[in-house]
Parts: sequence; structure tokens; C-alpha cells
Amino acid sequence: MTMLDELRELWKFREMLFTMVQRELKIRYKNSVLGFFWSLLNPLITVLVMTVVFKYVQQNATKNLNAYILAAYLPYMFFQLCLLDASQSVLNGLNLAKKIYFPREILPLTMVISNFIHFLLALVVFFIYLLGVYLLFPDKIPFQWTTIYLPFLLVINLALVTGLGLIVSALNTFYEDVKYIVTVLLYLLFFILPIMYFIESVKNAPIVTDHPWAYDVYLLNPVAMLTVAYRKILLADPPTILVQQAHYKPIPLDMPMMVVTTLMSFAILIYGYALFNRLKWKFVERP
Amino acid sequence: MDLAPAIDVKDLKKDFLLSHSGINSFKTMLTWWKKRDIQKLEVLKGITFQVQHGECVAVVGRNGAGKSTLLSLLARVYRPTSGSVVVQGRIAPLLELGAGFHPDLTGLENIFFNGVILGLTRKEIQSRIEQIVEFSELRGQIDTPVRTYSSGMLARLGFSIAVHIDAEILLVDEVLAVGDLRFEQKCYGKIDEFREQGGTILFVSHNLESILRVADRCIWLKNGLIYHQGLSKEILMEYQEESLSLDSVESP
Repeated sequence: MTMLDELRELWKFREMLFTMVQRELKIRYKNSVLGFFWSLLNPLITVLVMTVVFKYVQQNATKNLNAYILAAYLPYMFFQLCLLDASQSVLNGLNLAKKIYFPREILPLTMVISNFIHFLLALVVFFIYLLGVYLLFPDKIPFQWTTIYLPFLLVINLALVTGLGLIVSALNTFYEDVKYIVTVLLYLLFFILPIMYFIESVKNAPIVTDHPWAYDVYLLNPVAMLTVAYRKILLADPPTILVQQAHYKPIPLDMPMMVVTTLMSFAILIYGYALFNRLKWKFVERP
Repeated sequence: MDLAPAIDVKDLKKDFLLSHSGINSFKTMLTWWKKRDIQKLEVLKGITFQVQHGECVAVVGRNGAGKSTLLSLLARVYRPTSGSVVVQGRIAPLLELGAGFHPDLTGLENIFFNGVILGLTRKEIQSRIEQIVEFSELRGQIDTPVRTYSSGMLARLGFSIAVHIDAEILLVDEVLAVGDLRFEQKCYGKIDEFREQGGTILFVSHNLESILRVADRCIWLKNGLIYHQGLSKEILMEYQEESLSLDSVESP
């Protein structure tokens, strides 16, 4: 079957995908009192702690630091939860898959979509937060018109996590080590991504000013580029980035690298889907 | 009238890979020079048969003869190693009742979930929900999570969903024995009704009585091949004789 046939078959089962997502969202919070707010409490507390540490220990004096951290941490959390959930999705759904025919990609896609919905809700809360800041301190408003590009960014991000999610879920079914590798890589990714620092700090780091190509290599990581992009389009750049008495001028979004990221994301999506389709009928027969 | 048979199986073969060390891991990849204890197991070695519309066929055979594998191949859960399976019409697999139930969801939510997996739209389920709940006799508990259900209740709900989705072909794997006697009778009643409407049934069971009750034709699988097929009565007599004589003489 070609990829188009597979997609047509998936389309026939859209109702099942929809129901699976609904079920996933329902189960996740059915037995807890705070429900959806658990999924928000985690990033809010994390960002609060990070803000305190960066402001007072690392002496990052940039204004509105918490908003900048949140704008980068929410997409990272989406990315992380998607891959972790997706890597287990086929194994968890194996009992069902052994009994009934359905396009197997529904299992990881359910995880990606339900996490995406959480992410969208978290973004809504993020905007409410910005509005709150604006109402309290009108001079500090970080709203800006580039936020209209957000849907494009979300589509690129979705393509990337779907592709990676398909890859890890397929491989983890045969090699359960994949789950551990993914966990470690995600942990390392957190430090590599410009979440706790600004991309301007990377650009102005001595090692990068000596070897300018290192900056391009850094941005070749599509997740890093996406993190930068989220921050740049959701929030206006601060007038100056102040880290330990050093002032950095904000740099605009690197558009050519953004195009590279987009192409990479869709290439990963297509490759991931092809890999998944090649392996998916062997899931139930794994030795 | 559709002249093509409901189920058309041609020279169907299915191999499985068996590993004694459990699942695959990077360890087996990194130690590729070591001899791996993966064996090929030929479960079906080339079987050919047809089931016409409206027929009810039972499959018998000892454990490991390939009966369940055959049903799974018909349900498209496995892909054949070689040969072909062509099925005309919607299949309702009753492979193991309640396969798609989630313990934390209520009975009603699980009806929707299961119905959608079996290929109905939500609207179609909505229009049948009354009948399904009625048939399952679970009206009092339909809004409680199914983790509180007994296995008999789960079986009732699963059967009730499967027979109400208007499938043309029912695949039944040893499941009618789970309810109590009265519900079992009700299931047979429903199956008769299903057959009167022209439905096709493929049926795996060790219960010879229920085979005689339901099936017109019988396929006897032995070591992955069709050993005999024909009228239920004759095949079952032969089958019973051989099973009993094997038990008394030797076990293969």
C-alpha cells in the first residue's frame, strides 16, 4: 500500500481516532479532583522555581523573565509528553491490536493529539496570564502582532512530534530500550534548548563568537529552532537581555533556519510514517 | 445476489517467529554474532476453504492446531505469510469478549468506544444503544465503571455489542460459555436470528454440543492443515473418536 492508501484507510477510521482521544482525555483526569489543572500546575510551579533561580542566583535581570521561560517551557513540555506517551502507546494498545483490525497509527496519534489539546489549553492559560500582567502593569505588555503566526508554528511542531512519535512508538515495540533512551535524550534536550537562557546568550557566548558556525549547528536542531520561534512570536523582545551585568541586543528570528526546520520537520513526519507503516503489522507478532 | 463467497481462503500460510529469550532488545542486536534462539513456527501450512453467505462453519482441532490464528487472520489482525484471505462484508470479531473495554470508563462509554472500533459511527451507535443495553441486561450498572463488572457481565456486554453492529460475518472464538445458562440460551437465540437474516458465522469451539447446535459444516484442523471437512455430525463423530483414542494410547 502506498502512503496515500494508508492515509485513506486512516481517514475511514477517523471516528475511532476521535473517540480514542476523547477517551484518553477522560481517563487521564477522571479519578483526580483537580482534573485538568494538574497538567497546568506542573509547568506553572516549574517556571516559578526556574524564575526565582535565574533571577536571584544566575542574576538574569531581564524584565518579565517568567513569561519568557513559560513561552519556551510549555512547547518543551508538549514535546516531552508526546514522545514519552507515544513511545508506550503501541505496547499499551497491543491487547486491543491483537483482537481487532484498525490502522495501528491510531495508537501513537491518539497520544500526540491528546497532548496537543493539552498544549492548546495551556497556551490559552498563558494568554490569560499575559492579559493579567497587562491589566496590572500596562507598561509591561508583551503582547505583539506576530502571535498571528502561531498556527503555522503549531503545524510545524505537530509535524515534527508526530513524525518522531511514530518512530519511537514503532521502535519501542521491538526494542524496549528505546523508551529509556528517549527519556535520557529528553532530559538532556532540556539543557540544550534555549529555555533557561536566551538564544542571544548562545550567540554571544565566547565559544560561538570564536566559531560562528557553531550557532548554525545549534539552530539545526529543529526543536531548538522551534523553541526560539515560540518565544519570538509570542512575546516582544525585551529591550535588552541582561545576564550577569552583560547586555545583549535581541536578535530577530533567523528565517532561513526556520525554513530548514520546517523542511526537516515534514521530512521526519514522512519518514516516520513510512517506517511505522513498514513495521506496523509485525507489532502483534513480535517474538 | 452476491455470488462471491463470504469468506474465501486460498493456500493460506502463517509463520511466527518464536524467541525463548522473551522480547527483542538492543542486547540481541549488539550480540549479533551469538546464535539467536529464534525459531520459526509454522502454524498454518497452506489451507484452502470457502464459506458461503448464510453458512455457519465450525472449526475444530486440538490446542495449537491453528484455529485461533485462522480467526485472527480473518479478522485482519495478522497478515498472511503467503496465500490470500478475501472477506465480503463487515466482520464482527468476537475473538475475546470485552477486548476493547477500558476499566475506568462506564459501560455506556465503553459501548460507544467498542462500537466505533468495530466500525460504526457514533450516530449508528446512538440508535442502537437501547437494544444493546436491553440485551445485556445491565441497565442498572450501565453507568458504573466496567472494572466493577464481573467477567460474566463483561461477556454479556461484549456479546451484546457485537451482535448489534449489523455485521455480515461473525467470528466467534469460544465465548458463549461465559455467561450463565440462561444468557447462553439467549445468545444462541440471537445467533439463530442472525442466521435467519442471512448472516455468516465462523465458529471455533471445543464444546461439541454447541457446534452441533449451531454449525452446518465443520472444518477439522490438524497440525496447521485441513484434515477433514464436511457435515458437522460426521466430522464430530470422527473427531471425538480420534481424540478419545489418542488420550488412551499416547499423547503426541
